[in-house]
Amino acid sequence: MTDYELGIPDIDDALGGGIRGGTNILVLGPPMSGKDTIINNIIYHGLASKEAAIIVSTEESGEDMLEWFSNSGMSVDAYMNLFGIVDCVSATLGLDVKDTASIRRVSGPMNLTKISVNITNYFNEFWMKRGVRKARLCVNSLSTMLMYTNLQAIFRFLHVHTRRIKTANSIGFYIVEDGVHDAQTMETFKQLFDGIIKVEVEEGHQFMQIIGLTPQPTKWYEFAIDDDNKLNIKRRSDI
Amino acid sequence: MVIPIALPILDESMGGGIPPGKSLLYCIQPGVEGDVFGMQTLYYGLENGYKAVYISTSSSPDYVRERFREFGWELESYEGQLDFVDAYSHFVGLDSNEKYVVDDPDDINNIDSVVIDATKNTSNSIIMCESLSSIMDMCGEIETIAKVNEWTRLSMLYDNTSIYNFTAWHYSDETIKKIRSEVFNSVIRVGGIGERVIFGQYFGVMKADWCEPSRKTFLFRIVRPGGVRVYIPKILVTGPFDAGKTTFVHALSTRAVSVDRFGTTVALDHGHIDHKGLSADIFGTPGQERFDPILKLLGGESMGVFLVVDSMRSNTFARAKDMLKLTKTFGLPCIVIANKQDVPGAAPPERIKIEMALPDDIPVVPVSSKEKTGVVEAFEMLVDNIMRGL
Repeated sequence: MTDYELGIPDIDDALGGGIRGGTNILVLGPPMSGKDTIINNIIYHGLASKEAAIIVSTEESGEDMLEWFSNSGMSVDAYMNLFGIVDCVSATLGLDVKDTASIRRVSGPMNLTKISVNITNYFNEFWMKRGVRKARLCVNSLSTMLMYTNLQAIFRFLHVHTRRIKTANSIGFYIVEDGVHDAQTMETFKQLFDGIIKVEVEEGHQFMQIIGLTPQPTKWYEFAIDDDNKLNIKRRSDI
Repeated sequence: MVIPIALPILDESMGGGIPPGKSLLYCIQPGVEGDVFGMQTLYYGLENGYKAVYISTSSSPDYVRERFREFGWELESYEGQLDFVDAYSHFVGLDSNEKYVVDDPDDINNIDSVVIDATKNTSNSIIMCESLSSIMDMCGEIETIAKVNEWTRLSMLYDNTSIYNFTAWHYSDETIKKIRSEVFNSVIRVGGIGERVIFGQYFGVMKADWCEPSRKTFLFRIVRPGGVRVYIPKILVTGPFDAGKTTFVHALSTRAVSVDRFGTTVALDHGHIDHKGLSADIFGTPGQERFDPILKLLGGESMGVFLVVDSMRSNTFARAKDMLKLTKTFGLPCIVIANKQDVPGAAPPERIKIEMALPDDIPVVPVSSKEKTGVVEAFEMLVDNIMRGL
C-alpha cells in the first residue's frame, strides 16, 4: 500500500505508486545539486493534496521559504492552515521578528528541545484541530544542525522524531550534504532511515535515484528544474 | 522561606514550594513544552522580590526575554534583580552585554567557572538553568553531571534554590538514573499523552526529599499569556428542566455560549473557566426528557459533574438523580448545586441531601447562580474531589 505520492510521476511509478506511510527518507546529494528543490516540490504536492507539511528550516528564514514557494509558481497561500515552518534562522541573525500562525522561531539550529516542541505542536494542531491525518515533515538540513551540535545529540533527536513519523503514519525527509561528513556520521544517519533519495550531478546533468524502498534501487533518472522551480524528469538512465 | 513554584497544586503537593538550598529538576519528554514551569516559578519569584540568575544555554538572553514576554512576563521590570549567565551568544558569534558571559560555551570548565562565580555572588536567590540537556549535548554527559553535582552543592551553601530543565532524550541508562534519582533534591516529570500525536500533557512529582509529595498526575495546558494551567478537560453540568443550569454555566465561566430557543437550552451550554491556575471546559446538558437520548453522548469523557437542582421544587429531585444515570456519570466526582438559594423559601442544602438520599461523598452546595454566590466555592470543591481521585 502506498499512502503518499511524491508528485514526480516517473519516480512514483518506479516506487509502485508512491511511498508507504511511516517512512523516513534521507535526501543525500552534493551542495547545489537540487535537493531542496526536489523536496520543496514534494512538500508542495502534499499541500496541494490537502496533506499537512512541516519544514524545519536551518538555512532560510520562514519568510524566505514562503517567498520561494510564491516565486516558484507554487503559492502556498491557500494551504497556510496546513503548513508549518520551524524557523531556526531568524533569531541567529538577531532579527526581531514575532511568530506567526505558520512560522514559529527557535533560537537556533542547536536548540533541539524547542525544535522538537514546535514539530510536536504542529502535528498536534493539524491532527486534532484540522483533522488532517497525513503529514510530511522535512528537516533542511541535518548538515547545518551538525555545525552547531554533535552527532550524538542529533541522533537522539532523530531517534525520537523518526519513531513519531512511524507511529503517526506520516513521512519524513531529512536533507544531508554528501561529501561533507565523515563515513561514521553517514553510517550513523543511515541507521535511522528506511530509504535514500540520492542526487548526483555529472557534467552539468542532474540525476536522482531512490534506494531502499523497492527490492532493488530504482534506475537513475535525469531531471531538470525549470524557471518555475518545477521538477521534470527528462529520461531514465539504464545504468 | 520556601520559594513557591507558582502553581498552587504543586506547591500544595511539595510542602509550599522549594526550600532554600534545594534543587528541582523538570524531567521533560521531548516535544513537550515543559520549560514554562520553571519560567513561571522564576517570574513569580521576581515579582515577590527574590533575586535570580538565569543560565541561558541554548538561546540568547534577548530571545529568553522575548519568550517570557509571550506569557505576559516582562523581565525588564526586574532587571536589577535578574542576572544572566550567557552561555550561548559566543557560541553563535553574537556579542553579549550580560553580567556573566561564557567565552567558550562548549567547554564545560569555562561554563563551570562562570556559573560558580555567579552562584557565589548571590544568596537566597533562584538559579535557573535553561537546558541541562543542551550542556550535556555539547560537553558530554558524565562531565556535565560531575559539574552539576558541584553546582547544587554550592547552591546549598549559599541558600540558593536551583531549577534545571532537562529534555529526556535517549541518554545512557546510567545518565537517566543519576538525573532522576541522585543529583537533585526533587524531580517533576513533564510528559505527553498519545501515540500518534501528543494530544495531552501531564506533570507529576517523582520525588522531593523535604516532604512526602503526593504521587498524583495532573493534566496541563500552556496558555499565552498566562503560563501553565492545570487542565480539567471536561466538567458536565446537568439537572432537570428549568433548574438554572445555563445561568450556572454562565456564572461560573470566564466565557460561555449557549444554544437556546425561547430561553430554554435545546442543544448545549459551553463555558470555559480559568481560576487559580486551573482551567476547565464546562458542558451543560438540556433538561427536558425529549433530549434524554443525547445525554449519554454529552456526558462522555467528563471528569466531574455538577448536578443542578431547583431548591424550590423537591418534586424534580428524582428526575435529577435519574439524569446522573442517563449521562452515565454516576460514580464520577459530583456536587449537587442547590440553586436559587436567593429565593425566599428555598430548601436548605441539608434537607435536599436527605430528600435526595445522597451518599456522603456527594456534597450539596448552596448557590445562587443569579447572584453568583457559592459558584466558585462549588467549583473549587469539585476540582478538589476530581484531583483526589486522579
